[in-house]
Amino acid sequence: MKTFEYARPSTVAEAVALLEQHGPDAELLAGGTDLVIEMRNAWKVPKVVIDLKRIDELRPAIRENGQWISISSTTVMTDIAEDARIQKYFPALVESAVVVGSVQIRARATLAGNICNGSPAADTAPPLLIYRAVVAIAGPAGRHKIPIDDFIVGPGKVALGRGELVTGIELPIPRQPIGAAYTRLTRRRGTDLASITLCCSVEEGGVARIAYGSVGPRAVLVEDSSGVLADPGAPDERKSEILDEVFADASPSLRSMRASPDYRRAMLRVLGARALQTAIDRFGDAS
Amino acid sequence: MKADGIGAAAHRLGGIGRVTGHQQYLADIRLADMLHVKLVKLDCARARIVSVDKSAAEQVPGVRLIMTADDLPQPVPRFGPQFQDRPILADGETKYHGEPVAAVAADTKEAAEEAARLVVVEHEVLEGGVFSVADALDPGAPLVQDPSIRADDQWARTNILREHRFGWGDVDAQEADLVIENLYEFPMVTHFAIEPHGFMAAPDGEGIAVWSTIQHPYLLQKTIGKLLKLPLSKVRVFAPDPGGGFGGKQNPKLEPLVAYIALHTGRPARLVLTLEETFQAVRRASAEVTVRTGLNSDGTLVFEDFECNFLIGAYVDIADRVVTKGSYLAAGPYRVPAVRIVARGILSHTTPSTAFRGFGIPQVTWARESNLDEGARALGIDRLEIRLHNLAEKGEEFVPGDTPADGHWVQSVQRAAELIGWDQPLAPGRGRGIALGLKSGPTTGLSYSTVRLLADGSVLVFSGTSDMGQGARTVFAQIASQELGVPLDRISVVMGDSSVVPYDQQTSASRSSVLMGTAVFNACLDIRNKLTALIAARFEVPESDISIEGGVVRIPDVEMTITEALQAGLGPLGGELVGNGEMRKDKDPSHPLGGSAAFFEFNTTAIELEVDPGTGEITILRHITVGDVGTALNPLQVAGQDEGAAIMGLGHTLMEHYIFDEDGRIRNLGAIDYRIPTSMDLPLQMRSDSIENADGPGPYGVKGISEGALLAVSPAVGSAVTEATGLIIRDLPLTPQRVWEAMTERA
Amino acid sequence: MSESLIIEATINGFRRSFEVAVHHTLLDVLRDQLGLTGTKECCVVGECGACSVIVDGRPMNSCLMLAVEVDGAEVTTVEGLALGDGHLSPLQGAFLDAGAAQCGFCIPGQLIAAQALLDRIPHPTIDEIHEAMAGNLCRCAGYEQIAKAVQAAAEAANS
Ligand SMILES: Cc1cc2nc3c(=O)[nH]c(=O)nc-3n(C[C@@H](O)[C@@H](O)[C@H](O)COP(=O)(O)OP(=O)(O)OC[C@H]3O[C@@H](n4cnc5c(N)ncnc54)[C@H](O)[C@@H]3O)c2cc1C
Ligand code: FES
Ligand code: FES
Repeated sequence: MKTFEYARPSTVAEAVALLEQHGPDAELLAGGTDLVIEMRNAWKVPKVVIDLKRIDELRPAIRENGQWISISSTTVMTDIAEDARIQKYFPALVESAVVVGSVQIRARATLAGNICNGSPAADTAPPLLIYRAVVAIAGPAGRHKIPIDDFIVGPGKVALGRGELVTGIELPIPRQPIGAAYTRLTRRRGTDLASITLCCSVEEGGVARIAYGSVGPRAVLVEDSSGVLADPGAPDERKSEILDEVFADASPSLRSMRASPDYRRAMLRVLGARALQTAIDRFGDAS
Repeated sequence: MKADGIGAAAHRLGGIGRVTGHQQYLADIRLADMLHVKLVKLDCARARIVSVDKSAAEQVPGVRLIMTADDLPQPVPRFGPQFQDRPILADGETKYHGEPVAAVAADTKEAAEEAARLVVVEHEVLEGGVFSVADALDPGAPLVQDPSIRADDQWARTNILREHRFGWGDVDAQEADLVIENLYEFPMVTHFAIEPHGFMAAPDGEGIAVWSTIQHPYLLQKTIGKLLKLPLSKVRVFAPDPGGGFGGKQNPKLEPLVAYIALHTGRPARLVLTLEETFQAVRRASAEVTVRTGLNSDGTLVFEDFECNFLIGAYVDIADRVVTKGSYLAAGPYRVPAVRIVARGILSHTTPSTAFRGFGIPQVTWARESNLDEGARALGIDRLEIRLHNLAEKGEEFVPGDTPADGHWVQSVQRAAELIGWDQPLAPGRGRGIALGLKSGPTTGLSYSTVRLLADGSVLVFSGTSDMGQGARTVFAQIASQELGVPLDRISVVMGDSSVVPYDQQTSASRSSVLMGTAVFNACLDIRNKLTALIAARFEVPESDISIEGGVVRIPDVEMTITEALQAGLGPLGGELVGNGEMRKDKDPSHPLGGSAAFFEFNTTAIELEVDPGTGEITILRHITVGDVGTALNPLQVAGQDEGAAIMGLGHTLMEHYIFDEDGRIRNLGAIDYRIPTSMDLPLQMRSDSIENADGPGPYGVKGISEGALLAVSPAVGSAVTEATGLIIRDLPLTPQRVWEAMTERA
Repeated sequence: MSESLIIEATINGFRRSFEVAVHHTLLDVLRDQLGLTGTKECCVVGECGACSVIVDGRPMNSCLMLAVEVDGAEVTTVEGLALGDGHLSPLQGAFLDAGAAQCGFCIPGQLIAAQALLDRIPHPTIDEIHEAMAGNLCRCAGYEQIAKAVQAAAEAANS
């Protein structure tokens, strides 16, 4: 690994100032589970590495204010999986957090890093889309929030400008019952990067939402308000037609060695139907 | 003696170092003033090297040497266990992805890495690389090896290294009620020892010292001696216990390069490969095996006709031996009147394939057993039944001219069938499979051991075996404990130093308990004889009146411990008794393999599984593996070896394979996209069992183990998948995608 | 900001202060600088777990951490698992009893993952064990023996 300067700001403002000063020469370091590999392989050769883990404002990891749960940008997957509030309100996010890497990885990997890294296969992206997460950003121009769907742009790209960083990810606590489920496709049961990531929800009014990733440049969110997908009694053929539309935008890589495009497309349907069924069951239990 | 001796589930010798972190593996050893070596490689398979520009790399502070082929003696020396074909560094042309072109030696790892990136190798990628059997046999294909390397060989102008023909009876004259013919494919897989290969060398007086994670230290000693024109006594090889070998660490690879670097610089040098580089250093030969099985309608095997094409790499390493040993027993443990085997090792522009647990047998077993199942299905005969019907009985010379069947193999088959519940009803959606594997143990062998009974009655055993996890150390100590009546905690086993430990041919083919075990046993016998003579002189009794049993020495009217006897015998000066033992199995030039099997490793694997009809994912519900081991010297270690081999077998059956691009580059180098089983990929239930009839040739009737449980995993799984789904898949691995594709093709 | 830093960390119970290059991983520093070679290197991409250490109570891959990141932290490596009096810990003993260590190369990482698990869940189920150890590859594939050892250690702590 090439050497660099290591900075350990204690405030967000300091971090922003450093980022602004060094622009593309700087990299933010959260858990480092992506960044350290990228630096070792010289895919990224930053001059300055800014470690976010000593910033007091980014603690406590998880906060609740009655309407929102905020997850600070240094919060790791293990914290998320163990948090009773997240388990209660956002079980599908927990389902995605507990399959990221291994115990060792989850003790380091942050939720914000998972999103900011911009991998199309990020496990937490689909549930964050489903739960209508909002990304809190700090930058030279101050602070603002944008919906996760607008934040995720494409492979390795998120909506951050020069000098900007993510301070947290906020999730609105659902006011009405919602049933959600997360699932993924891997090549083995132990640690693996997913060839499909998929989260579904069923909500009041027959709305079903499906978010899926790893089959195109970014995770996408599709909503079905026809009521068919959410209807436990709807005939399979009807559901099937709608699922075809839901997954129409999938454009799996032709070159991937993890799974062929045909297999991924077919598995979207299989996993989609299964996750939907789980979501319907959970919705039934919740309401 | 059960507590420490034969049959005891004794703790692993060296176990404490392994659980405290104190065990010194090669990469843990530091030599003063040591240089760090980094390889320079090209990101392509077959290329012509035009020039190497070292200038930028030389500027990196701390760089001491950048070695290219030009810096070596000319012509570039070549070496190998079978053919002298592997150059120290790529010689004018790289022949596979990752073949080292140059090496940088620097004061720090970082400087070496940085400089290695800065070495500019001007090269021209050569079209027409040979990456498959079909590529290699295409009349227009380039020759992978220059014909001059094996000048007088009839195959020198082809990409076939050699073609071997074995068999008996007249296949063409046989009349069968049913003939089934199919092609089975076995993927390229890699050893993936968790300890990456490592090599060190240092000038040592007028000679050289070499450290390696090697399984065959004495072969390394010979190789280095020959290359450097040094007598064996001036080549000292240190072989710290390898962190897993599985065959991949048998033969010398980069030690000669590191030795040249050490001599050039006059400093110790060390090269530890990255995991990615180990993928480019060692792999198993992939294979395409066509089987024609002739059966009578009652299930009797009438003939077996094999064509085995093994895709070996650019250099032979031990691959020709893998081809012959793998295919010679292609017909398996059955009584077959006529067998024809044509086996070829086919050169290609890929990583040189080498020994890998099972040594060619798993590839052929996948084909034979799967095809037998197809025959059984076509005839409507139960798959267990057809095996029992044809299985050789103990003492039967099932391969004419070779060692007769050396076990009651039927017991292993029946035990496995019983444990899997072969006759029990099967739940819907499930399938079962049962398959037999047979491998011949070593065909030649030579092991020496020295055992020293020290003045306080403790024992040192010297053995040139490599303990890479199979637990050789423990077993040798148990033998000494049994024979000398000394508890295990007073026995040490010294290995891994060629200047101290007497010669051993090699650690391979599950040989060590049998061959080195016998040498240790004989060395203990030598000590007992010497002790008897000593006591006879000291107490003035005839030797015939002295007995040594379980650590107790008896002469008329006196009983003493072995230590008391030793001390009495040695007298006031003390000293020790040194025993020497030898075990030799000579070459038999008339035998196609150069010698008959010292023993057979026989295994039955039975599987019950479920296939997800939506995704194609296989869940192994039960995995039974039963070996015919003769005697379990240490049942704990036998179970460890069997279960480990079984899970490794699941790896190549379900998930492992190299993925290449069109230009012969390995795309899934390293741990991210080459999947091996984790703790979550295990069968829901695994059961290993052993048949013990003490009918092996080793001490106490032991046979070799360690490979058996891997041999027949694939066909057992494949057969169960067929039963569960009705699908027949003849290529591995059975990934979810592969199974799904088969389901889709059918639909 | 600087390219090397003096950090202070408690390593295997001893508070130590030492200078590290900021771009060196914790794995490099443990092995090459502190001589704690029990922690092993294999994949350096977080897949194999051979480099696992416990940092502030959680198991982590030291190949994916910069050494500077443990400034102020408490680090346990395999060398720190034995009891203070030099005796093996119950977990280490259980690994020997179960025959869990074959070649042994993965074992330091396995022990670390297992110890971290037992610290968090004193009586894990088999599934919890397999799940908690899924980031630790063992090519000798002693997974069953390893899981048995973890269970035995958990039971021993009971009695
Ligand atoms: C062995 C292994 C297995 C894995 N398995 C999975 C898996 O199954 N599923 C999965 O989704 N991922 C997996 N990953 C990747 C996963 O660990 C990461 O995506 C992780 O979540 C990233 O978080 P981090 O804190 O480690 O990020 P870092 O590596 O620290 O940072 C990642 C990127 O995000 C940027 N960044 C970090 N924080 C911020 C911030 N607050 N604001 C702006 N930019 C920021 C960094 O600059 C960097 O470019 C795996 C990784 C490894 C090594
Ligand atoms: S070396 Fe760190 S996880 Fe493999
Ligand atoms: S004991 Fe050998 S890799 Fe685990």
